[in-house]
Amino acid sequence: MAELIKIDNVTKDFPLPIRGKKLRAVDKLSLAIESNTVYGLLGPNGSGKSTTIKLLLGLLKPTEGRCLINGESVADPSIRKNIGYLPEAPYYYRFLSGTELLVYFARLQGIQKRDAKALAGNLLERVGLEDAGGNRLGTYSKGMLQRIGLAQALIGEPDLLILDEPLAGVDPIGAAEIGALIRDLKAQGKTILLCSHLLSQVEALCDKVAIMQSGKLLAEGSLDQLLVSDEDKSLLIKNLDTESRERIVKTAISMGGQVSVNRISLETLFQRLVARNKRSNSVSRANEEGENE
Amino acid sequence: MKWSFRRTLLIAFNTFREAVRMKLFLVILILALGAFASSFLFKEFNFGSSELKFIADFGFGGMTLFGSVLAIIVSAQLFIGEIEHRTALTVLAKPLFRSEYLLGKFFGSWLMVACFVGMLSLCLAIAIWVRETSILQANPEAFQGAEPIEILQVIAFGIIQILRLGMLCALVALFSSYASSTVFAMSMGFLVWVASQLQYIATDAWSGGSHWLLKILFAFASLALPNFHLFEVGDRIALGETLSAVVYLKLATYALLYTAFYLSISIVTFNRREF
Repeated sequence: MAELIKIDNVTKDFPLPIRGKKLRAVDKLSLAIESNTVYGLLGPNGSGKSTTIKLLLGLLKPTEGRCLINGESVADPSIRKNIGYLPEAPYYYRFLSGTELLVYFARLQGIQKRDAKALAGNLLERVGLEDAGGNRLGTYSKGMLQRIGLAQALIGEPDLLILDEPLAGVDPIGAAEIGALIRDLKAQGKTILLCSHLLSQVEALCDKVAIMQSGKLLAEGSLDQLLVSDEDKSLLIKNLDTESRERIVKTAISMGGQVSVNRISLETLFQRLVARNKRSNSVSRANEEGENE
Repeated sequence: MKWSFRRTLLIAFNTFREAVRMKLFLVILILALGAFASSFLFKEFNFGSSELKFIADFGFGGMTLFGSVLAIIVSAQLFIGEIEHRTALTVLAKPLFRSEYLLGKFFGSWLMVACFVGMLSLCLAIAIWVRETSILQANPEAFQGAEPIEILQVIAFGIIQILRLGMLCALVALFSSYASSTVFAMSMGFLVWVASQLQYIATDAWSGGSHWLLKILFAFASLALPNFHLFEVGDRIALGETLSAVVYLKLATYALLYTAFYLSISIVTFNRREF
């Protein structure tokens, strides 16, 4: 599959009010995302996920490194013709109706007024807001705003969708519908980059994930690669005593049979990686302090 | 991708639509019309042309005061407010240039301010015409020795005020292009509005000052800030004076040049801004 997104050794520093100090939000991050994948960017708050997304959208400039989409620099606004973006906790023009918002964004993307109105109707139906299109956005619930945000991201049939917390504030039924929509988009050949804290849903949707903390990449790969952990190789054997289980395993192996390995959940992997990184950070900090003393 | 005036206009009309739907616009319009209507209550000034001068002064003053307040609040609210609420992120993630967005915001705010001033000018022109006609009907010699107020001059005053408020909107856009809060952009807008009203003092100090440091400071202030005092031609119009087209043309050129200057700096600043 062709590489759609390339983040090449990107670092992003933000200056702090304290003279000479800076906050490193993204630290030498390198990622390559192939087209037609659902890619999950995971990490605790402040891990650099949203900064990475903003770097990809050209809303921030990298301190070092480069971001490319389809081999072209993200600094060029025309790149964004092919990107749909749903921001985290979207807040839109509360004086506009859902239809007016979609028509406005469609027209910004060069779609003629009449076509924009028809498109708005289709998109509202696609995200389950066909009855709320005439209502002011100020009256929308959080889940409805999330859906209208998703609808505006779909304007222009972009090949790449960047969704920042698409399931936040959406009820379980709505989340399942959005999940189905994401799967449908993948089936249409789209590439989806999503950030989420809802790990079980990420696990159900993503082909590949990257886990970040403190701006650094902790792990990256397909779920099959990541979730079959060496530490957790275990067999699921039921209704047998220990001796019998051991005999079964030995027999299975001696006979050249396959023993199924139990997968850990994405949530377990995530928590384990974050905790391990925190531990190693605190050990290295303690070592540094020891050296300074 | 080419720079598009069409996208700028789309953003401008959306900004205008949002501004009109804001309750603030309606509140300021009602306040301004109320203040203007209250000038009719002062019947003791009913001495022919003096009454008309009073109505015109009241109208011109209201237009300048409320127009300036509206220009500052609306420009800041619709520009930096959108950045604060992160609505701007969705728009800027679309295929458009940041300068299109900034100019769209500016034109939208300015259009709204222009509508406000236009409505007040029209009301003032109608009020003066109605009163002038009724005074003349009651006493055909009421304006003997005094010039009646020309309706066209009232409309021209409105147009000049729209251009003056364009400078103020551009100044607020400049502050908003790097500000991190609406309150900061508004505060700077009000500060610069007052400073621009008093800019002529800086110009006098520049030419008359002695210390080189003060001279540089005053020179900067008098060049960087527009002289809003130049636009206060309401007194002359209220006294029945007919200002020539050249005066209006000079004022319009002055306002447009300053507006273009502030917008150019805003675009440079906004292009460097990180979100």
